[in-house]
Amino acid sequence: MSEIVKLQGVQKRFGKFQALRDVSFTVEKEQVVGFIGPNGAGKSTTIRILLGILRRNGGEAQIFGKDVWKDSLEIHKRISYVPGDVALWKNLTGGEIIDLFMKLHGGGDKKKRDYLIERFELDPKKKAKTYSKGNRQKVALISALSVNSDLYIFDEPTSGLDPLMESVFQEEVARLKKDGKAILLSSHILSEVESLADKVVIIRQGEIVESGSLDELRHLTRYAVTLMTEGDVGKMASVAGVHNFVLKDKEANFSADTRYINDILKEATKLGVKKFEATPPTLADLFMRHYEGN
Amino acid sequence: MLKKRFMSWESLLLHDLKRDWIKILIWVIGLGAFSAGFVPAFVEITKGQGLIGMYEVLQNPAMMSIVGPTPIDVATYYTIGAFYSHTMLLFSSLIAMIMSALHIVGRTRKEEDSGLLELVRSFEIGRQANSLAAIKEMVVINILLAIFTSGLLYSFDADTITMEGSLLFGISIGMAGIIGGALALVLSQIMSSSSSAIGSSLGIIGLLYIIRAGTDISNVDLSMINPLGWTYLTYPFTENNWIPLLYAAIFSIVLVIIAFALEGGRDMGAGYLPERQGRANAKKSLLSVSGLFIRINRGTIIAWLIGYSILGISYGAVYGDMEAFIKNNELAQLMFTQSGVSLEISFTSTIMLVMMGLVCIIPIVIINKLFAVEINSYITQLQATRVTRGRLYWTNIVLATVVGLTGIIVSAASLGATALYVMSDNTTMEMVDFLTSGFNSIPVVLFYVALAALVLGWVPRLGKLVYVYFTYSFFLSYFSGIIDLPDWVLKTAINSWIPMMPMEDFDLSIFITITAISLIMIIVGYLGYNNRDMVEGA
Repeated sequence: MSEIVKLQGVQKRFGKFQALRDVSFTVEKEQVVGFIGPNGAGKSTTIRILLGILRRNGGEAQIFGKDVWKDSLEIHKRISYVPGDVALWKNLTGGEIIDLFMKLHGGGDKKKRDYLIERFELDPKKKAKTYSKGNRQKVALISALSVNSDLYIFDEPTSGLDPLMESVFQEEVARLKKDGKAILLSSHILSEVESLADKVVIIRQGEIVESGSLDELRHLTRYAVTLMTEGDVGKMASVAGVHNFVLKDKEANFSADTRYINDILKEATKLGVKKFEATPPTLADLFMRHYEGN
Repeated sequence: MLKKRFMSWESLLLHDLKRDWIKILIWVIGLGAFSAGFVPAFVEITKGQGLIGMYEVLQNPAMMSIVGPTPIDVATYYTIGAFYSHTMLLFSSLIAMIMSALHIVGRTRKEEDSGLLELVRSFEIGRQANSLAAIKEMVVINILLAIFTSGLLYSFDADTITMEGSLLFGISIGMAGIIGGALALVLSQIMSSSSSAIGSSLGIIGLLYIIRAGTDISNVDLSMINPLGWTYLTYPFTENNWIPLLYAAIFSIVLVIIAFALEGGRDMGAGYLPERQGRANAKKSLLSVSGLFIRINRGTIIAWLIGYSILGISYGAVYGDMEAFIKNNELAQLMFTQSGVSLEISFTSTIMLVMMGLVCIIPIVIINKLFAVEINSYITQLQATRVTRGRLYWTNIVLATVVGLTGIIVSAASLGATALYVMSDNTTMEMVDFLTSGFNSIPVVLFYVALAALVLGWVPRLGKLVYVYFTYSFFLSYFSGIIDLPDWVLKTAINSWIPMMPMEDFDLSIFITITAISLIMIIVGYLGYNNRDMVEGA
C-alpha cells in the first residue's frame, strides 16, 4: 500500500461557516505533495483534521490506512508536524523545547538534533520568548526533522526563514524524499513548491480545484511566446491555439495552447523564424488562473 | 547638548498622558481609595475597647513582620490615626511602589523591546526624551495619588486623623511610588530585557520588604536605612516625622541621574548585564507531559503556596491575643464565637472556612491554564506527538488535585503551628485538629477541580465563570454566620455543605457524596475534552 495519506470528500463546518466542502487527495510514499491556496482556503483546517485536532463532519480521512480521529495515537507515532505559526513555551529555551518534543514523539536522534541546530544556526540556550518568528520556526523544524517519521506535514514552514535557511530546509526535504518518506508541504512560496513538489494540490474555498503533477497541470495552460519572423508575423494571429496576440515592432507576443504547440510551430517555420522564445507557465501562472476573476 | 538629548520630551509627555489617562484615573482612584477608604471601617471595629485589643494583636512579632511597627508603646495612647497608619501605610506604599515600577518598565524598556521606541526615535526626538517623559509622567501620577489620598483621608473627619497626618500619609505613599519608578528606570538600563527588568524590580522591592520585616522586629532603627522604611517610618498621626521623605527624595533623584547616565552609554535594546543563558539541553525532569505542566505552572504554584503560608501565619499569630481581640469587637464576636465551644475552636472553624476557600482558587487556575495553552496554539505541536488528549487532561487533573491538597496542608499546618506556638500551653487544641479540619475540605477542593474540568471539556470559553461561582459560594458561606439565609440559598454554595470543623463533627456521608459527584463530573469533562475540536488562535 503506497497511499500514506488519503482524503475522500472531507467536510468541516464551524457553526454556519462551511470551511471545507469537498477535500480529496492522496499523498504517496516517496512523494512530496505541494498544498497551495490563499489564506482562508482551508489548508490549515485540512491539516488539523489530519492531525486529529479538529473533527471532520463528513468524508474519509486516513493516514497509513487508519482513521485520523480514532487512531490518532497510532498515527502520531510515525508523523512529524511543523505548524505555520509556531507558539513556544516562553520560559523554556529552544534546546529544552526541542528535547521535549523529541521525547514526546519518541525515537529521536541526538546527533541529528545537534547537526540540525548547527545547520540552521540556532542558539539553543536562548529563552523562546526572545526568538524571532524565523527562530521559532527553526525550533519546530529541528524538532520535527530530528525524529524518525514516515510522514512529514509542513504548514508554511519557511515563511519566516531567510533564503539561506530556506535552502537548508529544501535540502533536508530532498533527503527525506530520497529516504522514501511522504511529505505534505503547504506553502505560499510557489517557487519552493515548484522545486520540491512531485504533485500539486490547489485548494479554493474549501474545495480541491486542481490536483496532479506539475507537468500534468502545465498541459492545462499556455506557453508565453515571443516570435519574430522574416515574413509577416501578423499572420500568426489567426492560427488555432494562439491567444492574446500583440504585435509590436515586428515582434509578436502571444500565449499558446500546449495542445496546439506543434501546429503553431509549423506555421511559424513557414514564415521563417528569426527569433523564438517560449516560457512554460510557472506555478504562479497556474495559481493565478484559478483565482483570477474572483 | 543636554537640550538635544531630551528634545521634544514635552510632546511625548502630553502624548503619554493622553494615552494613559484612563489608566491613571483608575490607578489614582483605586489605590487612593484602598489607602484611605477604610477609615469608616476602622472606626467601626475600634468602637469601645477595640483599639486596645488591636494594639495587643499587632504588637505580636508575626503581625509586626507583616504590617510594620508603631511608635506607640502604651496601649491607651493607641489612637485610630495611629492604628490606621500602622496597618495601612506599609501595604499602600508597597503597592504604590510596585505600580510605578511596572509602569516605568512598561513605558520605557518594554516599548524599546517591542520596537515601538525605534519608530518614535526616527522622528525629531531626543535620544533620552522618552525616559524623561516617562519619569515625569510617573511623578505627576504619584503627586495626584498623594493629593487624592490625603484629601480622602481627611474628608472622613475622623477622630485623630489630622490635616498634617493626612498630608504626610498621602505624600509618603506618593513618595513610595516615586522610589519604585526611579528604581525601575535604573534596572531598565542594566537588564537585557523588559521581563528581566520587571523581575529584578519586583525582586528588589520584595527583598526590601522581607529585610524590613526582620529589622522591624529586632531593631527598628535599622529599618531607617531601608528605602521602603522611609515611607511607613514617617509615622503619620503619631510622630509626624517628615525627615524620611527627604531621604527618599534625594535617593530618587540620585537613582534617576544614574539611570540617565547609564542610558546615555548603552545601545538601544541592549543592557549592561547579558541575558542569562539557558540550557541547551532539557533536564530529564522536563521530558514528559507532567514535567512540562509542572514547569509551566511552577511560578504560580509557588506564589500561591507562599501566600497561603503567610496567611496561615498571620491568622495564627492572632490566637495569642484572641481574648482581647474578640472581647472588644462586636463584629468579631458575631463572626467568631459560638456558645458551648471554646473561643479558639470557633475561631479556627471560621478561619479554616476562609483559608480552605482560598485554597480552592489554585486548582481552578491550573485547570484553566490548559485552555489558555490550547487557545494560544501551544497544544497543536504536542497533539501531533504521541501525547493523547487523555494524557493532557488527566495530567492536568492530577496536578491540580495534588497542588490543592498541598495547599490544604500548607494552610492548615502554618495556621496550626503558629497558633499553637503563640498559645503555648493555654489550649486543648492540637496540630491534628487543624489538619483534620483541613482534610475535611478535600471534597470542596475536588469539586472545584471537577467544575473547572467539566467546563474545560464542554464549554472551555466559559472558564472564567468558575471563578464567578467560586466567589459567590465563598462569600455566601463566609457571611452565613452574620446574615440569616434560608437553608436552600445556603445550599447553592458548595463551600457551606461541609461541616465547620473542629466546631462541628466530621460528616462521612457528605464527604463521600461530594467526592463521588466530583469524580463523575471529572469523567464527564473528559468525555467532552476527548471529543471536541481544539480551539486555536481565537
